[in-house]
Amino acid sequence: MSRWFGSTSAAGPTPTQELAPPEGSLRPTLVRLAAREAAMLEGQVNFLTPELLQADSLVREAAGTLEEALKTLDRSVQQQHLLAGEIQAAMQSTLEGDPNSATASGGFDAMSATIMGTLDGFVGHIADISQSTEQLVEEVNDIRDRSLRMETMLEELSEIAGRTHLLSLNAAIEAAHARQFGAGFAVVAGEVSKLADRSTALSQTIQEQVNGTRQALERTDAHVKAIASQDMNVALASRGESENLVMALQTSNWIVKDLVNQLKENARTITTQVGHVVRSLQFEDLVHQTLMACLKELGNLLEQAEAWKALGTRLTAGEPEAPALAALEARLGEIEASRVQFRAVKSGSLTAGEVDLF
Amino acid sequence: MGHCILTVDDSSTMRQMITFTLKGANFDVLEAGDGVEALEVAKGKKLSLIITDVNMPRMDGITLVQRLRALPEFKFTPILVLTTESDATMKQKGKEAGATGWIVKPFSPEKLLDVVNKVI
Repeated sequence: MSRWFGSTSAAGPTPTQELAPPEGSLRPTLVRLAAREAAMLEGQVNFLTPELLQADSLVREAAGTLEEALKTLDRSVQQQHLLAGEIQAAMQSTLEGDPNSATASGGFDAMSATIMGTLDGFVGHIADISQSTEQLVEEVNDIRDRSLRMETMLEELSEIAGRTHLLSLNAAIEAAHARQFGAGFAVVAGEVSKLADRSTALSQTIQEQVNGTRQALERTDAHVKAIASQDMNVALASRGESENLVMALQTSNWIVKDLVNQLKENARTITTQVGHVVRSLQFEDLVHQTLMACLKELGNLLEQAEAWKALGTRLTAGEPEAPALAALEARLGEIEASRVQFRAVKSGSLTAGEVDLF
Repeated sequence: MGHCILTVDDSSTMRQMITFTLKGANFDVLEAGDGVEALEVAKGKKLSLIITDVNMPRMDGITLVQRLRALPEFKFTPILVLTTESDATMKQKGKEAGATGWIVKPFSPEKLLDVVNKVI
């Protein structure tokens, strides 16, 4: 069946019947038409062939570039995925504890609890020391009170010594008045006076010692108070700083965990996108097949052009029109029959094709 | 030792996409550009799976399946046909030749790996 001459079935007239003018009257027109048809077909083929080949080449080149980019991207994603996994594993083993490990630390929370427990113990110990120090201060105060009482007693003792000395002087005077009868009494008065002098000297020495002791106690009291106050302040400040540090570590731990999860999520998203790219890149092959099918069709058009040229040659050579046209029709029929009747690419979209397991 | 898969396609892009997908899942992959080359590459190899296109120069995929099935070492090796053809007649030809399954291009990596893991 020919698209140029209509149906050859019994239902309608044959092409030669349609074209049944007197022999020779249409010959120049037929020759002209044949030449025009041939030239038009050749022109179209000559225009379309390089265009299609160039399109094929460009698509192939673009696909090649994309393939390389895809491989590089995939390698980077794999590497990123591995790194995220390593960071997570390292964090788990150091901060959260490896459940398979016998030496597991028990996790970050357990570690924080241990640190805070140790600090509490330390602060408690310091508080005990502080309490002992306060008791020490009380003892020092007691000793100071006693030394003050001793000073009062020493003053009394000094006064007694002074009076004794005065009494010995009076006794000596009375002994002098009594002349030889008071000689023995004068000796006693002299000894009493000596005792009073020694007592005074001793009480002064003791007073000096007591003064020194009191000053030393005051200094000790000041030192002990300073130590007690400083111990508690330092302990409380250290505890606060350590708490802040643990909190900061915990926050940092959460942030890193979150980042690692984000990295893994990104890697998963990219992997999905890579899958889309892999599917899309296959259309280079599908486009290539379509273009090759188009080029085959263009080859058929060239054969048709040759058939039209042959008609012109026959008519110009004086062959009768009817057999020349019949030969053209036969040739066009052959060309049409030789066409491959299939669509190279069935897929009309980027969705994946069906799978059928036998 | 991992599974070795032979992929046969005249399009280098298709071969690369199949190889990329399979290697990403830790399979070893061999490549051939048509049926004739596939028979040469397969000779003496222990293959877990063969994935072939249909329309190829020198020897098409259906003929390749028939030739492989005639060889004792590939009588029971899974063979998947990966093609643009979705025509029922062509699919029937593949089944009669001894193919294990038929996948219409384009494939999604995830789906291809699903099928590969099923048939291996």
